[in-house]
Amino acid sequence: MAYNENSSLLALELRDVSKVYPGTPPVEALSNVSISVRHGDFLGIIGASGSGKSTLLHVVGTLTRPSSGSVLINGIDTNGMSDSSLSGIRSSKVGFIFQDFFLLPGFSALENVANGLLYSGVSSMERNKRSINILERIGLSNRLNHRPNEMSGGEQQRVAVARALVGNPSFILADEPTGNLDSSNTDSLMGLFSELNSDGTTIILITHDLAVAKICSRNIIMKDGEIEDDSQNTTYQRID
Amino acid sequence: MLYRSRLNASDILRVGISGLRTRKLRAVLSALGITIGIAALVSILGLSESSRADLMRDLDALGTNLLTVRAGQGFGQNQPEIPENAPLMIKRIAPVYEVSTVSRIPGSVFRNDIIDDGRTRGITILAADLNLIATQRGTIRDGKYLDAVSSEFPMVVLGSVAAERLGIDTVSRHQKLWLGEQWFTVIGILNPLTLAADLDRSAIIGYGSARQFLGHDSSIEVIYVRSYPEHVHDVRSVMAATVNPGNPEEVMVSRASDVLEAKAAASNSFTNLFLGLGTVALLVGGIGIANVMVIAVIERRNEIGLRRALGATKFHIGVQFLTESLLLASIGGIAGILLGIFITGIYAYIQDLYLVLPAYAIVSGMISSMLIGGFAGFYPALKASNMSPTEALRTK
Repeated sequence: MAYNENSSLLALELRDVSKVYPGTPPVEALSNVSISVRHGDFLGIIGASGSGKSTLLHVVGTLTRPSSGSVLINGIDTNGMSDSSLSGIRSSKVGFIFQDFFLLPGFSALENVANGLLYSGVSSMERNKRSINILERIGLSNRLNHRPNEMSGGEQQRVAVARALVGNPSFILADEPTGNLDSSNTDSLMGLFSELNSDGTTIILITHDLAVAKICSRNIIMKDGEIEDDSQNTTYQRID
Repeated sequence: MLYRSRLNASDILRVGISGLRTRKLRAVLSALGITIGIAALVSILGLSESSRADLMRDLDALGTNLLTVRAGQGFGQNQPEIPENAPLMIKRIAPVYEVSTVSRIPGSVFRNDIIDDGRTRGITILAADLNLIATQRGTIRDGKYLDAVSSEFPMVVLGSVAAERLGIDTVSRHQKLWLGEQWFTVIGILNPLTLAADLDRSAIIGYGSARQFLGHDSSIEVIYVRSYPEHVHDVRSVMAATVNPGNPEEVMVSRASDVLEAKAAASNSFTNLFLGLGTVALLVGGIGIANVMVIAVIERRNEIGLRRALGATKFHIGVQFLTESLLLASIGGIAGILLGIFITGIYAYIQDLYLVLPAYAIVSGMISSMLIGGFAGFYPALKASNMSPTEALRTK
């Protein structure tokens, strides 16, 4: 492991995580990956296609279980948890953002954001109230009733960010969030991420855009399912 | 359990509706099969019940206390006959309050005397009492029934079918008929007689004119007996012995309303055919919904992945698609019930029937559409709930 730290201070910890997809031959998407993410980190994961970035994100987000190793969220080991418990973690602790936004067509921005709280047991009225607040916070108060096809790509992605934030998760998992955005919208979105991070939101972002990665406070480079470099280790060594 | 993912009942309905809301045309088309099936079932059952209720209403009006007495089959070579004094004997039975008789007269009825004898049109000549129409509770469509005077003269009253076959719709022209080789004037046309349909095909004349103009003096063919309703069974039990004490087995007694009641109770083959077709439409509708739901699961993989990422459990995903299927079938079912009621109402209005909407048809229509929705949605729901979220999110 790169370093040891009190688990309770960590938003997320991966201990020797491997993920093997069955087949002939089996594909090892992740190989003995260990990462510690503290609350308030802004982590960029960089790597070529097929390096295991998305698998890592899905394992971290409890969408798939590791073949071996442990994933700890807020110090709690998710190994052996039921589908219902893992779903509970996703609804209350994890906020996802995707490259393709995945906004539901035919639903307004407000309804799409409110969907972020749908499975958390919050009442419909409270969901709408919180969604309006978060949309106002990210500057989309004038788009509450607009449907995805009535908004620009940048605006759609901001709605997706609002949906991820509305449940006040422990960390945000963003899978290539700028992949479908032009440079102007990319700058705007990264500015929003930096702002959220400076307010204390933990963000883990996957990208293959080095310009985007540079904005993150910490970078992990992945290659062939393994961590090739972790800038945090470098930083620690430099401080030491 | 540390964390729990929750989806309350109103939200289950909301996510179920959400899938239909974004694909309205497809929802309408896929629910159409169920609509047609349920409409067919409800309307067929409604029409059948309405017709039956109409018949029963007629029976109530006409009474169930009319007994019909005929000569039955004997053991000897001679055809049994009803004794001449039978009507008098029957009148002595205390609960009997009305008796009328008819006799069949050989011969045919024609519009004029130059029509070929073979073209009888199936119309029979009957001699009847003056109270026949009262006993039958019949009504006159045009003209009047026989009275003490007209029954002694060459005058005839036509049953409804006989009048139609002879092309006579009014008595105002004093139409004459070539009846049993004599000219008779039409003085009345009857409305259909529900309890004695054979009288509808008859030309009815008085006993007096039958004797005087046609030389008829043959035996009684049928005796119609009205008795107090509470004693009908008692009267029936003594009838044969009263009519022919020597050979009661040669007398056939029936209650006219029994035949109609049996007819009302029997569902006809067309009803069964349409019920069968409705069931097939319902099954096809169910297969249509299952097909649409399977396609929906494939098309909406990203949505399934997203919902799983937002915290939906496998169960929540399954319930969402099952709810969608149930909603589709329910919408189809409700539309089908309304359409069925509409069709029944229109038909009952046109046919002047008493409108009956059987509750069991409506309830079973709703239950069967829900069951079909459940069956149709089960496999797609299972498929959706077992979909790997990572695979679902990767699908473009």
